[in-house]
Amino acid sequence: MTRIPYWNISYGILIDLFALVAVIVFARGAYGHWLRIRQGKVRVRKAVDLPGKIGPVFVYALVTKGILGAKLYKKIFTGVAHGFLFWGMLVLGVGTTLVVLNVLFGLPVFQGGFNRWFMSFFLDLAGFAALIGLLFFLIRRWLPPERLVTPKARIGFSVQIGILMAVIITGFLVEGIRIAATGPDPYAFVGNFMAAWLPGSALAAHRILWWGHGLLCMLFIAYIPYSPMMHILLVPTNTALADPMPGSKMGVMDFSSFDDEDAEEMPTLGCTRLVDFTRKRLLDYASCLWCGRCHEVCPAASTEKPLSPKGVMVTLAERLTNGQVEDENLIDDITEEALFACTTCTACMEACPACINQPKTILKFRQNLVMEQSRIPELMGKAMTSLEQRAHPFFGTGSGPKEWCKDLDVPIFAKGETEYLLWIGCSVTYEERAQKIARAMVRILDRAGVSYGILEESRCTGDPAKQMGNEFMFSELAQTNIEEFDDLGVEKIITLCPHCYNSFTRHYPPMGGNYTVIPHAVFIDQLIAGGKIVPRSGGQSIVYHDPCYLGRRNRIFDAPRNVIGRLGRLVEMPRHGAESFCCGGGGGNYWAEEVGTRINQVRSKEALDTGAERIATACPFCLLMITDGTKKFTEEPKAFDIAELVAEGLE
Amino acid sequence: MHIAVLAKVVPDYEVPSADFELTDSRAHSRYTRMIGLYDENAIETGVQLKEACKAKLTIISYGKTEDISVLRKAIAMGGDALHLVMGDSDDPFVIAENLKMAIDGLGDVDLVLAGQQSADMDRGVVHSILAGMLGWQFLPQISRIQSEGDLWMVAQAHENGTRNLQFSGKGVLSITSIPENVPRIPVVRAIFAAKKKPVEKIEGIPGTPMNAKEVSVEIPKMESVCEFLPIEDMAETATTLLSKLREERYL
Repeated sequence: MTRIPYWNISYGILIDLFALVAVIVFARGAYGHWLRIRQGKVRVRKAVDLPGKIGPVFVYALVTKGILGAKLYKKIFTGVAHGFLFWGMLVLGVGTTLVVLNVLFGLPVFQGGFNRWFMSFFLDLAGFAALIGLLFFLIRRWLPPERLVTPKARIGFSVQIGILMAVIITGFLVEGIRIAATGPDPYAFVGNFMAAWLPGSALAAHRILWWGHGLLCMLFIAYIPYSPMMHILLVPTNTALADPMPGSKMGVMDFSSFDDEDAEEMPTLGCTRLVDFTRKRLLDYASCLWCGRCHEVCPAASTEKPLSPKGVMVTLAERLTNGQVEDENLIDDITEEALFACTTCTACMEACPACINQPKTILKFRQNLVMEQSRIPELMGKAMTSLEQRAHPFFGTGSGPKEWCKDLDVPIFAKGETEYLLWIGCSVTYEERAQKIARAMVRILDRAGVSYGILEESRCTGDPAKQMGNEFMFSELAQTNIEEFDDLGVEKIITLCPHCYNSFTRHYPPMGGNYTVIPHAVFIDQLIAGGKIVPRSGGQSIVYHDPCYLGRRNRIFDAPRNVIGRLGRLVEMPRHGAESFCCGGGGGNYWAEEVGTRINQVRSKEALDTGAERIATACPFCLLMITDGTKKFTEEPKAFDIAELVAEGLE
Repeated sequence: MHIAVLAKVVPDYEVPSADFELTDSRAHSRYTRMIGLYDENAIETGVQLKEACKAKLTIISYGKTEDISVLRKAIAMGGDALHLVMGDSDDPFVIAENLKMAIDGLGDVDLVLAGQQSADMDRGVVHSILAGMLGWQFLPQISRIQSEGDLWMVAQAHENGTRNLQFSGKGVLSITSIPENVPRIPVVRAIFAAKKKPVEKIEGIPGTPMNAKEVSVEIPKMESVCEFLPIEDMAETATTLLSKLREERYL
């Protein structure tokens, strides 16, 4: 039997007029979002030719993260519930549109297999799935996990959940009464179930429910932009415009206007008010769902530091909604302590289902604090002063720059003769424990017969300055390095520190420094794969700690694991790979007086709990932090760089 | 009110002793040069005082032209002007005489601040000699300064506490390091502004040096001696370590 659209309803077409009103209210609200976001600065985006990028839109990211919501499923229950709700409502929306097209233009949707399978079965299935999803979210609102708790309740979510539940339930009731009155519809399994309980004679109730159902739908649509449900538009937009490169790219600043006598106005460095941020950042804040996934994975937040990335986003989102874009008190409200507690590990970015760049916001605030206000924690300030004076941040070091290569015959890079520059970096030069990494690497390179050399004067890449917020100091150090590399004709660089690797590959190219850069873990893996070195396996169990700047930021996960696989049995911590936990040393926090639990102790305990005999890492900062962290639990030296383990296997 | 801060450019005061090298009885030229550690505390104190009292702050140094690029940091931190007396003597009387000439040239200086000692010779006597030459009072190891009417209220830091003093008139104060005068990181626009500020170069005078001649300079050789203490009993180990450190006069 062919289903009659708008059965038992007079003047049902009026619902379309209400729909028009709802769409106008929706559009007005959405325009309000745009007006708020456009108060930010226009982002000067350089032309980047990436496959699948159309204009400013990263299509692949839009589809996978924005529409399919790939990141949501990292929390399986929430992901599935969200999927049920989103796809269920989408299918119901398509079904409703088809009914309207049938009424207006006679589109034959209530005929044959399409009617049986789509209009009956799939629409019931979609409604049922959406209802389950809604029930899940309703319970989550009543009994929220800690990460969802916010200083202020976001009632808009609960209201919208309530409206949607009413929409679906009234929809099923309407369907049930219709089936009870007109005869069973074998494919509408929910409708048939409802019909068994409902009287087919309740025609007045049916009419009331039908209109109630329709008007609630309109109310839901109209209320979307005024509630957190706006994320259904904002999140895909934010995802489509977010640079899919992992980690936080801070770009390079141009300081030329500060030197220009004729410059009318010098730019503000970093950000202190909402209007100082770009539109993309404001879109970040508008898109934030306050879900707290960033808070949950943040090493600072989980060790009682004053920072919560969610807290920062919530503060900014509230100010944006309230129109406080010129508010000067933002930094003081978020607090300087919180902003400098960020280790720039980007775990928050990795966890965020809305592709928000939380570290960039934090670093923009830091830039303002450091470069405009001279506000920085004391120890970080000392490291920065040391960088300014000595080109390395290790103030108070007891080691000289030549100490690490004492008794070793390490070649100096010779222009036109040496293939690789072995970049030693600051931590390896000045920290006694880290010096062993360079010594081990020299043994490996000598054994493999690699053409390499070091610089006569060791220097920092500037990464600590950049991560602490002193972009100016970074640019000065980077420029010095680039000039020296140009003079020497350096083309290939082997780095011992992922922070140096990250700087050379992300921040040096825009300044004119383009090189082939290889992290030592990758280079060692290549040497082993090419048979240039054959380390002996000790058969021991080794747990690998992923450095944030190598793994999460640059997606180098396999090479160090391959190397460890050749040396012994690789053991994994519960948090590893892209979900690894920070050692606590990033973002200048190597020079921090930590409050609360020490991050390196948390991570060291996690590594020791695996029962592995040794802890391997591929970053001198991680090595120093974990070496220190394990001291709380054992006096036995447990942490080693993979270069040390390989060099040991060569003896 | 006019405050002058004395700043000296010295070789990196953190060069590890094992790495330290002399040429012509002086620190090797390869070491980075920087403003003396305590001098930066003095500059910071001067900047804070300038901000509190709406004073003028002049940085005065005795050294060479190449020191100017280093000394600009003092301007970037908040100094209003930089005066460099040209000279290369390391005789404290000669240096003091040259600094006195610069201060006399300024005419209206009320207070002179200096780091309590420099990193190269660590003598900490130039400021007291200068005070004597100026006929001003000298107060060493000052941690805090406040202006109250015609009086200066100062706190003198001692190993076992603080002594509060007050004086009127002009004075030379040597500044010690406290958490409140940790040198600020100059803000970027101040760094650029400092580059553009003119520097007053003053030709130095020979002065009257001390009647003493440098015969030689020696750096003690580094020696490492390693001894393992038994660690079965932590308390006993600690006691042994303590007595050994005392025997060797490290404590």
